[in-house]
Amino acid sequence: MTDASRQQLVSLSVFAALAIAWEILSCVYTVEAQPGEPMVAGWGTLFTRTLLSLSDYWQGGLGVPAVADGAPRSYLAALLSIISHSLGTLARLASGLVLGSVFGLALGLAVSWSPWSRRLVQLPTQFLRALPLLAMVPLFQLWFGTYFYGQVLFVSYGVGMIVFAGVVNAVRNVPQIYIDNARVLGASRAHLYRTVILPAILPSMRSVVLLSLGAGWGAVLAAEYLGAQSGLGYIIVYAQQFGLLDRMFLIALLFILYTSASYWVIERLFTRLLAWSPSSQAAGR
Amino acid sequence: MNGRAEAVATAPRNGEPWSLSQLFKACSRTFTALDPLRFAGALLFIAVWELASLFISPIILPGPFSVLRRAAADFWSAPALSYYGVEDPSLAANLAYTAENVAIAALIGAAIGVTLGLLSARVWFVRAAMNPIMMTAGTVPILIAAPFLLIWFGVGRASAVSLVAFYIVVILYVSSQRAALNLDPIYENSALTLGAHRGRMLRDILIPGTIPEILGGFRIALAGAWGLEAVSELLGSQSGIGKVLEVLAGATDPQGILATLLVLGCAAILTDGLAATLIARFAAWRFAGS
Amino acid sequence: MPTETSRRMIELVHLGRNYTRADGQRVSAVDDVSLIVPEGEFLCLIGPSGCGKSTLLQMMAGLVGPSSGAIVVDGKEIDGPGRERGMVFQRDSVFPWMRVIENVEYGLKCRGVAAGARRDIARDYLKRVGLSHVERAWPRELSGGMLKRVAIAAVFANGGEVLLLDEPFGALDYVTRRQLQEVLLDLWEEPGRAVPTVVFVTHDVDEALLLADRIVAMRNGAIVDDIPVGAARPRDTDTLLLQDMVAIKHRLLGHLGLAHAARGAAGARGAA
Repeated sequence: MTDASRQQLVSLSVFAALAIAWEILSCVYTVEAQPGEPMVAGWGTLFTRTLLSLSDYWQGGLGVPAVADGAPRSYLAALLSIISHSLGTLARLASGLVLGSVFGLALGLAVSWSPWSRRLVQLPTQFLRALPLLAMVPLFQLWFGTYFYGQVLFVSYGVGMIVFAGVVNAVRNVPQIYIDNARVLGASRAHLYRTVILPAILPSMRSVVLLSLGAGWGAVLAAEYLGAQSGLGYIIVYAQQFGLLDRMFLIALLFILYTSASYWVIERLFTRLLAWSPSSQAAGR
Repeated sequence: MNGRAEAVATAPRNGEPWSLSQLFKACSRTFTALDPLRFAGALLFIAVWELASLFISPIILPGPFSVLRRAAADFWSAPALSYYGVEDPSLAANLAYTAENVAIAALIGAAIGVTLGLLSARVWFVRAAMNPIMMTAGTVPILIAAPFLLIWFGVGRASAVSLVAFYIVVILYVSSQRAALNLDPIYENSALTLGAHRGRMLRDILIPGTIPEILGGFRIALAGAWGLEAVSELLGSQSGIGKVLEVLAGATDPQGILATLLVLGCAAILTDGLAATLIARFAAWRFAGS
Repeated sequence: MPTETSRRMIELVHLGRNYTRADGQRVSAVDDVSLIVPEGEFLCLIGPSGCGKSTLLQMMAGLVGPSSGAIVVDGKEIDGPGRERGMVFQRDSVFPWMRVIENVEYGLKCRGVAAGARRDIARDYLKRVGLSHVERAWPRELSGGMLKRVAIAAVFANGGEVLLLDEPFGALDYVTRRQLQEVLLDLWEEPGRAVPTVVFVTHDVDEALLLADRIVAMRNGAIVDDIPVGAARPRDTDTLLLQDMVAIKHRLLGHLGLAHAARGAAGARGAA
């Protein structure tokens, strides 16, 4: 057996062992937070009763009545509630990522245009970056309320700060020889930016985007924990207030799925985009 | 141009007085190093903020000087906070609570994370077992664990500290594993041929060789730890900066919030500076001469 | 220069080392090598890339175990690395987290020599290699040639009976290389202590001729030639022009596959 497959076997076994341990624990620790809602739900219960209970979060519509209005729980309602709340979370994240990245990139490039502007904004941006992002949720809620756009602004602020700093740093690190080469061939400033600087910073953008993705997920979750009325984070924190561990666990599993998938997608995207880059840069290490 | 060589070349020899031209050269070197443009930028920022606050109502955007005054006033004693159920009514006391939690979590997280990380680099079984867990935990925001910890440990230090500690464990695990794996095996071989026993490897080679990268990871982890601790307190706590922020938000007090954030930001900058000093002290060999 | 009555310092007895390649093929890096190196001899191992000379040296150092055969040093079969067999590597092996002087006294520290005594010894060797002025410097601040001097000083300060050098000057420019060859010979011939036995791996024929008492040529994991070099010391580039030396040189070039087309058969160059 080769080293790599041996490692994979151990890794899979670890996950399997954890899953089995969870099941054993659910049989041993049968405490229930509320009648019918076990604290440690076994895998069987998770995908039947707990899944059904998620239909509580469906507000009704599309021909499926809400449980709050007296309708019975159903898998369809559960599925719809999962989809709608997932879309809520993903919409916040995506909008925040796009908004923050666009603004961060634009501002970063603008500030890098002249060496003076970069030094001018250095101290204020350093201080703003020192302010822990997640501690600023109350401030954003004060300014923008707990509406959708307020949360999007919060996420884009976090993403924007990271992208801005990353772009400024990357432009600074573009090897002077590329710039000299282009100038000598007659490129204007704007042309230089478009055809040399932007591609040259792409390799460093890989780690910047992954970093901002992580910050974005954290920001979305924090924003939903602290005042949203929809979204996966909202479900978790709402369930937490009643001690409904089983629902929290199911949603957490879903969340892990989404975040892992998002990282996988971004990494694949960058691998394709950076096919031209020298391998040490493409690896992003 | 090697700045040190230049400095050595133009400085007078020991005991001799500075000539006027040498003095001028030294002053202008310090001047450019401190970069007045950066200070101008900071002043510009404050000026723009003050100007904006004059036009926007103070309910939304208080000016920089009023925020500063509020921070100073509330730092040692803020009796208003006790109306909202904050245990120790002052910014300093709550900052101390938050800082204590961060410190405890940092110590626990560093001990576990570095030990596991270094071990995983040397023992393939540990690496194969722990890597998938750590890597998955690395992609998922640690916040997902917060509500669970709140239920298991209740409201109080334990849930916040365990959340932050877990975060630091993951970051330092990755840092120390990478540092140990990247450590050139030639150093170990060289030590062996110089007569070192295998038992000396940890102390003489592995730890000194990996410290710069581990400290670098620690510095990054520390920055994130402050925010994570604040959010954990926001979710459920009776003390701490997070609690103060929650209380002030509920009271619609942006001046208070900005003042508290200012204090928190200064604490984060201070600890970051301390981490940087540690790095300069213990990783001088990596960055010497640059 | 060893004499007839010199004892055997290093003895390689039917040494072999195999590897299994990624595609499953077994490759013989070292193939049944037997060699005796008397005490105090400066031996050069020469050969083209992949001939097994570095693997052989690593086995002598104890960093790699043999697949078959044994290595006997000073009457004892070796089992792993040890300070009696010091090694200078091709790449930089100086510990970057210790200052220069701490690097030189590292071996002494492992042995438990007292702080004052080991510092004096280290300072002495640093002076011999011409690096007294950078005693407190960090390795990162030094050039490649200076780092090599530190490595050599560290190994000599440790006082081993055997010295193994694996293409130590391969990464350096010509001038630095020649300077370091002089430094090495100075330390090797240092009066007042037993002359260490040296095994020096290189692919540079001139270097071997300038340094060695005896040159062993290797190819495809086996020894193909064993040539004593009788030229008197100290040697310089003019020594290389002596008739005997030129003859040895052509012999070695032949083993390396670099024989001149005009000398010998037309197929000699293609005999690699």
